[in-house]
Amino acid sequence: MADEKNDVLLLPPSRRRFIATMLTVISGAIASILGVPLAGFFALPALRRPERRWLEVGPVSDFAQGEIKKVLAKSLAAQVWPYEIPPVAIFVQNQGGGSFALYYIHCTHVGCPVRWSSQAGRFFSPCHGGVFDKEGRVLAGPPPRPLDRYEYKIEKSVLYAGRIYEVNEKLEFTRWYQA
Amino acid sequence: MVSGMRGLLDWLQERLGTREQLTQFFYRHVPAGTGWLHTLGSAALLLILVQTVTGIFLAFYYVPSPEHAYDSLTYIQKEIPFGTFVRGLHYWGASLIVVVVFLHLLRVFFMGAYKYPRELSWVVGVFLFLLVMLFGFTGYLLPWDQKAYWATVIGTHIAGTAPLVGDYVWRILQGGEEVGVRTLGRFYTAHVLILPAILYGFILIHLAMVIYQGIAPTPRRGLDVIKNQDYARLYEASKEKGETFLEHLFRDGVVFFLLFLFLVWIAVTWSVPLEDVADPTDTQYVPRPEWYFYFLFELLWLFWGKWVPVATFYIPLAGVVLLFLLPFYDRTPGRSPLRRPLASGLATATVAAMAFLTYQGATAPLPPAATIAQEAKALPPELAKGMEVYDGQGCSACHVVKGRGTAAGPDLSRIGASRDKEWLKRFLKNPSAVKPGSPMPPYQQLPDEQMDALVGYLASLQ
Repeated sequence: MADEKNDVLLLPPSRRRFIATMLTVISGAIASILGVPLAGFFALPALRRPERRWLEVGPVSDFAQGEIKKVLAKSLAAQVWPYEIPPVAIFVQNQGGGSFALYYIHCTHVGCPVRWSSQAGRFFSPCHGGVFDKEGRVLAGPPPRPLDRYEYKIEKSVLYAGRIYEVNEKLEFTRWYQA
Repeated sequence: MVSGMRGLLDWLQERLGTREQLTQFFYRHVPAGTGWLHTLGSAALLLILVQTVTGIFLAFYYVPSPEHAYDSLTYIQKEIPFGTFVRGLHYWGASLIVVVVFLHLLRVFFMGAYKYPRELSWVVGVFLFLLVMLFGFTGYLLPWDQKAYWATVIGTHIAGTAPLVGDYVWRILQGGEEVGVRTLGRFYTAHVLILPAILYGFILIHLAMVIYQGIAPTPRRGLDVIKNQDYARLYEASKEKGETFLEHLFRDGVVFFLLFLFLVWIAVTWSVPLEDVADPTDTQYVPRPEWYFYFLFELLWLFWGKWVPVATFYIPLAGVVLLFLLPFYDRTPGRSPLRRPLASGLATATVAAMAFLTYQGATAPLPPAATIAQEAKALPPELAKGMEVYDGQGCSACHVVKGRGTAAGPDLSRIGASRDKEWLKRFLKNPSAVKPGSPMPPYQQLPDEQMDALVGYLASLQ
């Protein structure tokens, strides 16, 4: 309830509206002039897809047919910073006939590192009992899909790993990893 | 000295009216029944202050980059005087805060202190609780050791299972496609700049609300059920009978001092874990989260395949939403836990489930390790051979024998007592034929000689 004293202090509605609008416009302008670049500064490096970079896995002759071998692949991309990219672990399987399967080492459940047991012929995750066969299909445990794989190419008898992709139970490409 | 002090107070009094303000603050009455359980909030606040101070000092030497983080921590622990102690306070303090904040939440819940007119204090409190958990999550990447790295890989994977936006959230959290230099930068900035700013903002709001509204009435006789329209009258009456805040402050001081001494004792006597430096190429490492995330980690056992997001996203989301909205859907006048059996029962069941999962996480069997070769030596040769097959075939990835392995499937420590060789062999060759629906993969390709050794070994476990 407005008494007489308050009525004296209140500004005319048009004036009040004008001030409120101006303050909103000024705050909005400051927020966007600062906010847009800062949002880009924060999020774009994370969302930007690096140029398709290949990892050097090694000479094809290093991989006996049927065997699965863990290799540390080197990045070939010129790096701005940090100067040294750490090597990337990949499970490589020579499937014969020039065909390879390159498995991402992270379990498809919540990302624990799977280990390859050549005796068992299976991949095991140490966290929640995920088991994969030697083609990466889920045999047991919670993983929602087979092991993710790298695209690959062979140039001058050297094997290179590219982007990571997800496959379905039939081991067909479904989508790029983190697409 | 005393007169100097008095002079200063007079000087302030003239300008700021200090005397009245302090009198009003320290001699206001708290409601009758305010006691030792009401010290948990202030204990949490003071522990957070300790955390802030030790954190600032750690930042003098810590370097947030994958190349230097681990070494800077080793340097703090090995070379800096009191380095292990300061890091110990910070490390164990984090766990202690989680405990105290959680107990504070339980106290407020069971005393019905989130009810009218304190609904917003509860909401802000839930924010504070989540902030504390985020401090834990961002903090333990910083040492850049194996535990730090792999726990963060799992944490960001879990964020990535959110529907629709998961992949974006995942990459924005990591600062890219994997946990690396930008992840560490983000987590560091969050841990030392963003989260503290938000935390202290919310703490100020939380405190301002407590000071404005006063400590909630203890739901004793006559106050165990309070209708909103009676609240003001009953609360004033309860304060009439209560002590002054200064008297309660004494309890706050005692409890915090004991907790602080306990923290110091832990920091002095327990070592602070620092594992090997993070190695993203290690495929033998067994990741484990910090104990206060065990309940989430163990929950992951329960949902398979396409149901995984239930454990990683929907249950945690539902928990947080239910927690936030508690005062808005629970508007019954009952305040004493005995006067609202449904709420108390559900909360007790939830806490029991969390405690159970935490216990499961804490007592999870040791990962399969290299001691197997030694143990095998102590066995007769044919059993040793069977044990080698057991190990080689990765059985311990799903089964536990004598406290080693992963408890995905049944514990086999005494399997020989209930199953004979014949049954075991049939089962191993085709599990789902013997036990329909068994998730165990078949082992029919195992050579007979190895199968016999394995079955012999399993039958010997009694």
